[in-house]
Amino acid sequence: MQFLVSRFNPERDDKPRQQSFEVETWRGMMLRDALLEIKRQDESFTFRHSCGEGVCGSDGVNVNGTNRLACITPVSELNAPVEVRPFPGRPIIRDLVVDMSQFYNQYRAVEPWLVRKDPMPEQEILQSPEEREKLDGLYECIMCGCCSTACPSFWWNPEKFHGPQALLTAWRFLADSRDQAEEERLDALEGPYKLFRCHTIMNCVEVCPKGLNPTKAIGHIKQLMLKNAI
Amino acid sequence: MSRTASGLKAWALQRATAVYIALFSLYLLFLMLLAPPAGWAEWRGLFSATPMWVGMLLYVLAILLHAWVGVRDVLIDYVKPFGLRLALLALVGITLVASGLWALQSLILVRLN
Repeated sequence: MQFLVSRFNPERDDKPRQQSFEVETWRGMMLRDALLEIKRQDESFTFRHSCGEGVCGSDGVNVNGTNRLACITPVSELNAPVEVRPFPGRPIIRDLVVDMSQFYNQYRAVEPWLVRKDPMPEQEILQSPEEREKLDGLYECIMCGCCSTACPSFWWNPEKFHGPQALLTAWRFLADSRDQAEEERLDALEGPYKLFRCHTIMNCVEVCPKGLNPTKAIGHIKQLMLKNAI
Repeated sequence: MSRTASGLKAWALQRATAVYIALFSLYLLFLMLLAPPAGWAEWRGLFSATPMWVGMLLYVLAILLHAWVGVRDVLIDYVKPFGLRLALLALVGITLVASGLWALQSLILVRLN
């Protein structure tokens, strides 16, 4: 099977180029296995990966135009030649490795931790099963970055728009019955950029390898904002 | 209005005006299809009746506000240089206000004549 992978060495190249590799596939082979095979053929080839089972979120790449996790993408699903590129819109460090700093900065900006104003209780803060259920579809995010780097609004304004990943996280804490900073969180999202650059394009929903729905979370935030405003 | 342009207000305004524009457009469409006014006199009578007149006034206003938020969104997304963005925003603003005044003039004339 033919693979066209993106190569870029900042010390040598002005711009990325596609290099062709021939890889023998086997039943159940994942794209990550193919990339490892390519690395055996050319050890200068560079990409991120770790757990190999869709949990760590390290090996997000753009495959035939779609952001996916290489480790849980069967090569049998892909049409040859398979074009593997780094995430779109991010500065390339080398080959498939990109600089995700802006993505992490946006995550940090939504204060992804529980804020408690009451004195901390002696025991853990309990949640009812219904309260806990509200976090389903939110807490599972592995921060692979597939969604935010597929989002046109994040491409145009990565320094100002939080992007789907950070906004999903923002809603995860707004929806948490144990959090007590609702007003502050909503105030921090006001203005035309951080939240409202989302135009419900829904690329994020389409690419999320965990099947999460950032667009829905963003809709919930807007609704809550409106509810608190009138 | 905060230091930055509004987020929630603009979004809510766009949603609300969209609903009004959709409903009133459908109303106008069905009116023209089912009972089109025959001739100028009937047309004038239709549009100078107070409920219709106020409805049209709101319709024009809703379209202007909706267009302003939408075009502002596009310019914020795609036009980065400050000077160019400011110039384009001003141009769009003036065009919309001028269109609104023109529509207002037509509406007033329909009522006077």
